[in-house]
Amino acid sequence: MFDGAALLHLTGIGKGVTGLKKNKTMIVVFLTPAVVMFSIIFLYPIIRTVLMSFFKIEGVTDAMSKWEFSGMANYIKLFNTELFRISMWNIFRIWLFGGLIVMGLALLFAAILTSGIRFKNVFRAIIYMPNVVSAVALATMWLQYVFSPKFGLFRSIGKALHWEWLEKFQWLDPSHLFIALLVAYCFGMVGYHMLIFASGIERIGTEYYEAATLDGANRIQQFRYITLPLLKGVTKTNITMWSISSAGFFLWSQLFSMVVSNTQTITPVVYMYQNIFGAGNSMTERNAGIGAAVGVLLSVCVVLIFVVCDKIFKDNDIEF
Amino acid sequence: MKKKMLSALLCTAMVAAALTGCGGSGDSAPAAEAPAAEAPAAEEEAPAADAAEAPAASGDSLVYWSMWDAAEPQAQAISQSIEKFTAETGIAVDVQFKGRTGIREGLQPALDAGTNIDLFDEDIDRVNTTWGSYLLDLEELVKTNDYEASANAGLMAACREVGGGTLKSIPYQPNVFAYFYNIEIFEAAGVSAPPTTWAEFLDTCQKIKDAGYTPITNDNAYISSLFGYHMSRLIGEPATEEVVKNGDWDNPAVLQTAQAYEELASKGYFSETIESNQWPAGQNTELAMGTAAMYLNGSWLPNEVKDIAGEDFKWGCFSYPAVEGGVDGTEASNYGAQVFAINAKSTKADQAFQLITYLTKGEADALLSEMSVGIPADSNNAEWPALLSNVKPVMDSLSTRYPWGAGAEANADMTPIIIENFTKLCGGSLDAQGFVDALKAAGN
Repeated sequence: MFDGAALLHLTGIGKGVTGLKKNKTMIVVFLTPAVVMFSIIFLYPIIRTVLMSFFKIEGVTDAMSKWEFSGMANYIKLFNTELFRISMWNIFRIWLFGGLIVMGLALLFAAILTSGIRFKNVFRAIIYMPNVVSAVALATMWLQYVFSPKFGLFRSIGKALHWEWLEKFQWLDPSHLFIALLVAYCFGMVGYHMLIFASGIERIGTEYYEAATLDGANRIQQFRYITLPLLKGVTKTNITMWSISSAGFFLWSQLFSMVVSNTQTITPVVYMYQNIFGAGNSMTERNAGIGAAVGVLLSVCVVLIFVVCDKIFKDNDIEF
Repeated sequence: MKKKMLSALLCTAMVAAALTGCGGSGDSAPAAEAPAAEAPAAEEEAPAADAAEAPAASGDSLVYWSMWDAAEPQAQAISQSIEKFTAETGIAVDVQFKGRTGIREGLQPALDAGTNIDLFDEDIDRVNTTWGSYLLDLEELVKTNDYEASANAGLMAACREVGGGTLKSIPYQPNVFAYFYNIEIFEAAGVSAPPTTWAEFLDTCQKIKDAGYTPITNDNAYISSLFGYHMSRLIGEPATEEVVKNGDWDNPAVLQTAQAYEELASKGYFSETIESNQWPAGQNTELAMGTAAMYLNGSWLPNEVKDIAGEDFKWGCFSYPAVEGGVDGTEASNYGAQVFAINAKSTKADQAFQLITYLTKGEADALLSEMSVGIPADSNNAEWPALLSNVKPVMDSLSTRYPWGAGAEANADMTPIIIENFTKLCGGSLDAQGFVDALKAAGN
């Protein structure tokens, strides 16, 4: 970020308002690269994407002369298409239920790991491990081994424990594939968010806990009345990161429905991809305008989530 | 003043560095791109070719964007043949193995940006349909070089058909979509000949089931083809495509197809785990492991599962059976090939065609066929890989070409919905009427 005062101090020629006026040229010179870069890399694609969403465009890189104006047709088609509605519902389910599971487990593990247990580093490394492994390898492991109805890990556990429901549970059929995806994805994401929570907890001074202990508060009360309120900012960061990764949910969806997409795993980004590059092995109609409209709608959703988060988690009222 | 000058200089340097980082643009694009484009090629070719000898570094080489991943047998065969081609002709080739996704996402933007690409390859339909406007008409080159003397006439005709009446692509690695089966299971069940009609198919399934095997398996990736093929047998592929595109689920053929599959499901002819089979579970753990007998798939299947099935696995092949009162018979199926095409803006079209000819004929074609367990494109290469020997009669018997999935996947907005409900139908958790109702509900 540009800091005028710091710049004037650095250049050593800023002497109040007169100095600032004299150095307008310098300000322009220093600002120009950032403004130009921002315009080229961010502003232009945003404007172009919004513009594209009102046109029918076959190839994503087609010249503007080939674009056919279609007004709101792309948006109307999206809202009238069952598959797109399904994809939005899926992403909402991933964001909400996945978010609750991941944030809950991440917070729990973070609280345990920062409570002074032995082998803290080992446990932290184990929980974080899935983030180091390639998503492709992880998804293949879940899909072809853990959930396998023939020799899967869950099947074997169910058999060993004589839990028939677990042994017979069809994780990968059209009725349960979403649950399978959610379990596998959350497994991989807990470690990442746990680290953020843990760093937030470690930032809280021990004197608060000591004072609370002297006042007779137990560990749960300390967590409820000290840790949680002081983690507001970190929670907001975690929800923001989770929302961004959920909005762009693509790879796991692709890996859980190879070759062709599936109603249980399709997300708006996958739907966007299909409209831009074609679906499956078949030659299907392409319309980058619809892809752009999906992008615009997703952006609106993300902005809405941020606004709501901002309202709920105001972290500037507590200083510690 | 000095400080001002220094600041201005630093600022200029920063801007210059940033712009350099962004790469060239406009007229300078091809020149700036050449070294970057060669880097992965050089890496990928390293095992095959001596880097010191690699003429790709000259910047004047023929640029070939390939649909294969460098680790695939097809890529390895092509690399070996290109090495020989360069040694024989002196024409340097910069081959870049982009993979399916790389080509699909990157080719058109690259062509639009004027990237130096002389030739590329992909599926016959995608090349001719999606990228048709970027292709060089090859009729003249084919005629001049008498290319068709030893080319597969049916596939050349298919290329002309999808090219809008003219030849814009050259086929190689032909493939055919049909039922692949385990001959040993058929023999154990007492089935002497593969079924050609639906009644024979039902009889075959019953015998296989009685012998203790699973008659049919499939995976989510291909299961919609069962629907497409049955529909196309009943009313023809164009009509099937219309039904799927327009959501005409009241068409009697839809219910008829669903009823046929409801019967298969109710008689227990499908794998018990058909609803849970996420590709490649069905083909790997059931068909290749010898517990299931039949799988509707492409001729690439034996190659894909050869490490699991073993060399002694006896592959049989038959075209989807004809149904009573249907429009199409066993002469119709999806067959095609990967195709080579030349960029209409290429300045080295003659050399590119020379390379295509080299790769699709004689030794190079035979090598590709052998290494990838694929069908040869050169009609003089009469010997097919042993695993595909039973595919040849099926390929030779086909005269009507279906597109992928026989029209079942013609509407991308419906494909996942068809797959979900058809899978449930095959698994027995949905009946025929329920299947039709689900499709109708999704169309509203």
